[in-house]
Amino acid sequence: MNKTKSISNSAYGAILSIPGLVLMLAWVLVPFTYVIYLSFMRYDNMSPVVFSGFDNYMKVFTDYDFLIIVWRTITFSAGSTGFTLITSIILALCLNRMIRGSAVFRSLVVMPWAVPLILSGFLWSWMFHPAFGPISDLLMKFGVRDEALNIYKYPSTSMMGVVIADAWRRIPFLTIVTLAAFQGILQELYDASEVDGADSINNFFYITLPLASRPIMVGTLIMFMFSFRTIDVIYSMTPGGGIGKCTYVLGTYLFDHIYEILDFGKAAAISVVLIFFTFLIGAAFIYNTLRKE
Amino acid sequence: MRGVLLNIIDHKATPYVIMVAFAMFMLSPFIWMTLSAFKTHQETFLSPPTYFPEKPTLEAFSNAWFEAPIPTYLKNSLLTCIISTLIVIVAGAFTAFALSQFPYKGSNMVLGLFLFTRTIPPMAMLLPYYLILMKMNLLNTRTGIVLYLIYLNYPLVVWLLKGFFDSFPKDLIESAIVDGCSRTGTIFRIVVPVTATGIGAIAVVAFMWAWNEFFAPFLFLHYDELKPITVGLYYFVGDEVTYWNRMSAAGIFAVVPSLIFFLAAQKYIVKGMTAGAVKQ
Repeated sequence: MNKTKSISNSAYGAILSIPGLVLMLAWVLVPFTYVIYLSFMRYDNMSPVVFSGFDNYMKVFTDYDFLIIVWRTITFSAGSTGFTLITSIILALCLNRMIRGSAVFRSLVVMPWAVPLILSGFLWSWMFHPAFGPISDLLMKFGVRDEALNIYKYPSTSMMGVVIADAWRRIPFLTIVTLAAFQGILQELYDASEVDGADSINNFFYITLPLASRPIMVGTLIMFMFSFRTIDVIYSMTPGGGIGKCTYVLGTYLFDHIYEILDFGKAAAISVVLIFFTFLIGAAFIYNTLRKE
Repeated sequence: MRGVLLNIIDHKATPYVIMVAFAMFMLSPFIWMTLSAFKTHQETFLSPPTYFPEKPTLEAFSNAWFEAPIPTYLKNSLLTCIISTLIVIVAGAFTAFALSQFPYKGSNMVLGLFLFTRTIPPMAMLLPYYLILMKMNLLNTRTGIVLYLIYLNYPLVVWLLKGFFDSFPKDLIESAIVDGCSRTGTIFRIVVPVTATGIGAIAVVAFMWAWNEFFAPFLFLHYDELKPITVGLYYFVGDEVTYWNRMSAAGIFAVVPSLIFFLAAQKYIVKGMTAGAVKQ
């Protein structure tokens, strides 16, 4: 007994977690430091790699469309997150109230979770095709529109298209999180409010939403962070950024500099800018997660 | 006015009606993909489009499977995803267990560090990984992809596992130690058997995450025989024409493995996600 307890619990914990910590340091912090180092180097695959101070950052910030790209990124992620959030709350409310069939419907609506984002982009791009896709055709058949709907013709509708394709894949996660939050609310609260004469609209705004707000908040922040940095859907749906580069976001801007322009120094600077932005969102997420009840 | 609205909201059928409408939206890409996979190449380019294949054919499936390298892509995806998931789960389980059950001075900081690394966008790590793998001569290898997938999943898995172990009853461990079991012994004799399904669910999440990855293999691999299925979908996108029916067939092959894993583990994933990602 004493032999097994020769080291304290906390020392045991430290020893047990060290291999994993080393793994993280090697796998995450090394490339993280490396990309920051690269961002201060001139690395354009044409001339020798030398230290260049803040040149790369200057190049990024003075790009004529840098601010537009940031704005588009915010529009895209806010649009996708907003659409996801509203749909998830509606779906979770329905699932929560269902007496029968809840499990079946839940399985059906979470299925997109298993679809790779890149495939989601392909499928939606085709469904939105003005001539060969079903959406435009159905709108005409039901008389909503007289002529074919070509979302790729206008910047705003192109953006809506990629937002739908992105949100479609993200709704399942937030629905599950929201549903779990709703189910965690005690039934007694609703019984008590019924005695007080509250109707279901009151219940939703004064009991359901406030009590479930924290998990929903954390889930929404995760979704916002993911949409902000993920461009799979944009890449497969509107290659090159679509009309007027309306879906050309920070991630696309970064990938272009790695894959097409081959200016690795500038790409590293864009990476750091992207890390900075996601960290701003992430800080809110970490604060919400680690905050004591 | 409010009364009418309430009557509608409170009606028993309302959740079902709304649900059916949204389920149509959520399922429409699946339906379109499945129907199109049975069409001929010509039929996918009819305008207005047909909904049900005029002459259902398995041509697209056989083309995707026998002429396009879909089986190779699937094998690559399965191989890299399973190996990286196993490594991440085994390494992550010990760390997460220690952080959850035997906290030490500074363990909160370690936890914060894991959370912080979760916020680093994978896109921003593409370039350093590309250059590091190039220096290690690991570009165009599956090993390189596995190394990247470990990065991608590790912080998330540790965090999910930690949340999961937090709900593990401490009494069980303590009583085992009193009975003379060593702390390391409790991990293998008690914790792992009891939590196997939960750990399995988190493994499924990590697997799906890896399965979904597109940009890293797109950038790191140039040979068809190494590419995973996500990159492989580009096989059907040509400069002039896209083979939608074959891509749909390939898409079904791409979705089915992770969908099976996912639906089988769904109940536990829901528990794991909500315990790890949301609640404390």
